[in-house]
Amino acid sequence: MARTLRFHVFRYNPQDPASTPHMDAYVLDETESMTLYIALTRIREEQDPSLMFDFCCRAGVCGSCAMVINGRPGLGCHTKTADLPERITLLPLPFFKLVGDLGVDTGTWFREMYTRVESWIHTEKQFDPASEEERMDNETAEQIYELDRCIECGCCVAACGTARMREDFLGAAGLNRLARFMIDPRDQRSDKEYFDVVGNDQGIFGCMGLLACEDVCPKHLPLQDQLGYMRRKMAMNALTRILPWKK
Amino acid sequence: MPLEATAPLAKPGRAAAYLDWLQMLTGAFLILFMWGHLLMVSSVLFGRGAMNGIAGFLETTGLAQLGGPVIAVAFLLHFVLAARKIPFTSKEQRTAVGHAKMLHHTDTWLWIVQVVSAMVILVLGSIHMWTVLTDLYVGVPGSELGINAETSAARVQKWPWTLLYIVLLPLAELHVSIGFYRIGVKWGVIKRKGRKKAKLIEYIMAGAFLLIGTATLIRFLLMDVN
Ligand code: HEM
Ligand code: SF4
Ligand code: SF4
Ligand code: FES
Repeated sequence: MARTLRFHVFRYNPQDPASTPHMDAYVLDETESMTLYIALTRIREEQDPSLMFDFCCRAGVCGSCAMVINGRPGLGCHTKTADLPERITLLPLPFFKLVGDLGVDTGTWFREMYTRVESWIHTEKQFDPASEEERMDNETAEQIYELDRCIECGCCVAACGTARMREDFLGAAGLNRLARFMIDPRDQRSDKEYFDVVGNDQGIFGCMGLLACEDVCPKHLPLQDQLGYMRRKMAMNALTRILPWKK
Repeated sequence: MPLEATAPLAKPGRAAAYLDWLQMLTGAFLILFMWGHLLMVSSVLFGRGAMNGIAGFLETTGLAQLGGPVIAVAFLLHFVLAARKIPFTSKEQRTAVGHAKMLHHTDTWLWIVQVVSAMVILVLGSIHMWTVLTDLYVGVPGSELGINAETSAARVQKWPWTLLYIVLLPLAELHVSIGFYRIGVKWGVIKRKGRKKAKLIEYIMAGAFLLIGTATLIRFLLMDVN
């Protein structure tokens, strides 16, 4: 009972002055265990060699294949056509800079975000290459790892209504990134220093709790719980600092 | 996020945190008020005497005269605070609605409902508050008005006041119930595990209040006011 799939794919090459944004239709017979990666590759090989899209690991690890699949941001390599209706509409992720057709540049945004949240361990300790590595308790390590699983696909940001309306919003990926350092005992930043990074409307107080990020994240990161925790922590921090002896 | 934005993006300060606290607190305060308000008005379902008794108590103790303006201030304050998040320019509105349509995601739509209901509540709620507050008994000779079931019924029955209440009731209940759920998720009271249940409670709550409110409106519409 092989189905015939109808793809409607966004086409636009910003590099080509003659190109205009439009949708192209492709028809493809479905094969067993077909993913969008397989389908798009076949379309490119058999029907239209000019079709542009990004893939690398094909295993949900690199985060390069995110696109809007029937309205929802998701990973092309991770999405089985069997889970989709016969009519499949593919758009590039909004919010990010379009490279061409389904390909977007998420890297520039993520690098800028890392600079903003200063995504590195801040410590005064001198590194001693001769000493034994310091141990971290297993539970903390696992908590950090849980947040470190982010593959930087950009789905959460593209799905976020706040980010769509205000470009300078850090997004769930950015807030989650800082949360990862907040639980890391090696990072010596104080709560006040964290507050200066995210305690504003570009950060946690801009988030309106629409939870689209939570619902689309292909790695199922605990974004909802993370955002709630961060808002409470940062709001309490500001509150305690009203007290004169807490400065 | 523009690439060249290497200058500090926001001047470090605590204002955003305090405004967020206030937005949540005024919202929570208004929710509590709305629940109390609905329950007290719906006492008319048990007869005019029940409602008049409660209204008389609130007025003779001065609670209504004091509470009314407090609610009005909270209402306006909440509007000013929440307005920081409302898409007012047509560019933002197009983005917001286009985004919700693309995503077909319930919580994103609920937010749109919250924003639209908010604007209607702002206008109709203000009209409603003005008329009720100017009807309060103020103890000056000649000011015999006060809240009572007959005056309310007469108002509800008089076109276009009827329309005002028919529109205001469901939108206020929706806004309140969604706001209740949203405070929960934003502040991490509702966790990932409890979200489904919280949403169910949100829907049940909205339904229950809508039901009580509608019954109350019908009671007013059918009341004999000579
Ligand atoms: C003056 C008319 C009103 C306007 C313009 C307004 C606007 C808004 C907006 C836009 C939001 C969403 C903000 C966000 O997600 O960050 C919101 C949230 C909320 N509103 Fe209103 N609202 C109004 C009246 C009311 C009333 C009368 C109540 C209750 C009786 C209420 C209760 C709430 C609650 C509980 C929230 C959630 C608070 C939060 O997210 O921090 N609002 N309001
Ligand atoms: S919960 Fe916050 S970060 Fe996530 S989609 Fe909503 S507004 Fe964006
Ligand atoms: S948090 Fe999830 S959706 Fe967002 S970039 Fe990371 S993996 Fe992608
Ligand atoms: S190709 Fe690497 S995540 Fe899809």
